[in-house]
Amino acid sequence: MNNTFDIQRFSLLLKRKWLEFGKIYLITLAVSLGIMLISYTIAFWSIITNLETFSDNTLDFREPLFFCFGFLFITVVASTYFSHLGHKPKTITDLLIPASTFEKFMAGIFFTGIMTTVSFVVLFFLTDLVFVSKFRIAVPGETGLNSFRDAEGAVTAITNKGVYFFAPDRLNIFMPLYLVPFFVTSIFLLGSIWFNKYHYIKTTLSVMVFAGIWTAIVFKTGEILTEGRRAVNHSRPIYHAANDTMEWIITLLLLMVTVVIWTITYFRLKEKEV
Amino acid sequence: MEFTGNKAIYLQIAEYVCERILLGKWKPDERVPSVREMAVELEVNPNTVMRTYELLQNKNIINNKRGIGFFLAEDAVNNVREYRRSEFMNDELPLFFRNLYLLDIGFDELQTRYNTFVKENFNS
Amino acid sequence: MIRINDLNFGYSSRHLLFKNLSMQLNAGHIYGLLGKNGAGKSSLLKNLAGLVYASSGKIEVMGHDPAKRQPSLLRQICFIPEEFYLPSVKIEAYVKTNATFYPNFDHKYFNGLLAEFEIPVSQKLVDMSYGQKKKLIIAFGLATQAQLIIMDEPTNGLDIPSKAQFRKIMAAALTDDRCIIISTHQVRDLDNLIDTVIMIDDRDIVLKASVEEITQKLCFKRVKELDNMAIYSEPSLLGYNVLLPNYDNEDSKLDIELLFNAVLSERTKIKAAFN
Repeated sequence: MNNTFDIQRFSLLLKRKWLEFGKIYLITLAVSLGIMLISYTIAFWSIITNLETFSDNTLDFREPLFFCFGFLFITVVASTYFSHLGHKPKTITDLLIPASTFEKFMAGIFFTGIMTTVSFVVLFFLTDLVFVSKFRIAVPGETGLNSFRDAEGAVTAITNKGVYFFAPDRLNIFMPLYLVPFFVTSIFLLGSIWFNKYHYIKTTLSVMVFAGIWTAIVFKTGEILTEGRRAVNHSRPIYHAANDTMEWIITLLLLMVTVVIWTITYFRLKEKEV
Repeated sequence: MEFTGNKAIYLQIAEYVCERILLGKWKPDERVPSVREMAVELEVNPNTVMRTYELLQNKNIINNKRGIGFFLAEDAVNNVREYRRSEFMNDELPLFFRNLYLLDIGFDELQTRYNTFVKENFNS
Repeated sequence: MIRINDLNFGYSSRHLLFKNLSMQLNAGHIYGLLGKNGAGKSSLLKNLAGLVYASSGKIEVMGHDPAKRQPSLLRQICFIPEEFYLPSVKIEAYVKTNATFYPNFDHKYFNGLLAEFEIPVSQKLVDMSYGQKKKLIIAFGLATQAQLIIMDEPTNGLDIPSKAQFRKIMAAALTDDRCIIISTHQVRDLDNLIDTVIMIDDRDIVLKASVEEITQKLCFKRVKELDNMAIYSEPSLLGYNVLLPNYDNEDSKLDIELLFNAVLSERTKIKAAFN
């Protein structure tokens, strides 16, 4: 019998976890959906009732909405995942379930790292799809106010503002950025097992303190290293746009930090005592 | 069944079994309750019942037919009597005698009372 | 089934709860774990289930190190803690999601136990009283067919009829391949169920003996007057309850409470009686 990982046992564990965790999860998801719907309704209300107000910026609310609430949603879920381990009787039940520590840990990664992000994106995608398609029907791009015509009256450019949030050409961002949700949730997952109470606040504060110290260190080192020197080549950018070397280094760093945080979480779980 | 006094539980169970046999509740050549059934009924550890059954086997009151269970021995009733008699002689009689002596009760009085008791309880 | 060698354990390194504790437990017995408050009964049980880690020493449970928390061992352990948690779902849902982890789970037996404990199957777990919940986890734990059954104060919170049901169920649950360990303060609830007494005090096992051994070495009596033979005595309604060395080979009834108090106050004399 495999005592480290067994796919059947793992799926049983997911099912079992869902029974308890699913409720909190769905409630949080429902709240997020509510916020999305409200935001979209408010934004589109003014468009539908008063077409003239449509401008380039009307749909700009989507980016902050997506990133802020996406962040909030995945971190809230991640910071509740292991929070019950601050409660003795729950810990006993959990530790004694016949599944390996690795499986219990992987279930955590699955729920917080993958499922939260995917479900939030899907939900956002659907909401966006519904509202934007409605809008597109109401305001056809070619005839409406979103087209420019030259002197002879021919259509020269169509700037249809009813662009889907997840339109293929908009997804052309730097691919490794998809790592960010894993990185963010890994921190809050660790916080949920590290602290016994007030997981979210404590994790946030810790991250802020840590980030502050880190910034100070980087700043100070930079200052010390460059002391008495003069910068040259002001005019030329150090990295060319075609070359993502710096981005890749940061990505690698992000990946490494995420893996390290997951490893710490795993050992915290393994060493958890009652 | 209530366990009382200072007698070891396994002996109290033995007495309980003996009484059932003497009262004819357990019939000769019938299977007797298994160790587990007895333990559940009396709410005691099965190992204790096992000890009782071993004792009763030694006294030839029950015997173990391999794979089937425990049965009353052929001569169970007589053996129970013999076992109980020796228990009585050793444990209860000394106390009884002590009281006879202390309370100055004569054997004649005892004889008449015994006869009435038997008549009232068993000869009706 | 269980072997403990030189176990050192403490919640802080300066205050050890157990010092060089060793013992061996075998299948086919119901062990009664006794000790004062804070003596470490629960901690010893948690060590066996791998819920806490020893600072040194070796624990072996069915050939496994419980601290590794391997599924192959965990499915053979039924642990009934004093305080426990049940999610707010229906019994069916609870069983459906939890029983699957135990390949030998016996649904028929489980339903039989629920019926015996008089727990309605369709009930929601949140609507149940502490006693009912406790009975549910006991029923569930036994139905997993685990070979090692560890219970911390199982009769706490059970009403009088439930205690009798519990004794019946445990008497039936003891098989030759099972090892049952019960810690308790309520010795009167369980004294006929236990066949071996384990007493912990002052960081070690002070007594581990079967009822048969104890009553061979010691005699429990009720007397009107004390004599100097008694190892330990307690006044009672009609004289004294005394504990004597068993010189006459009497088969007396074990009085666990009397033994417990005797061990705490006359440890050396009791130990001498056993050697």
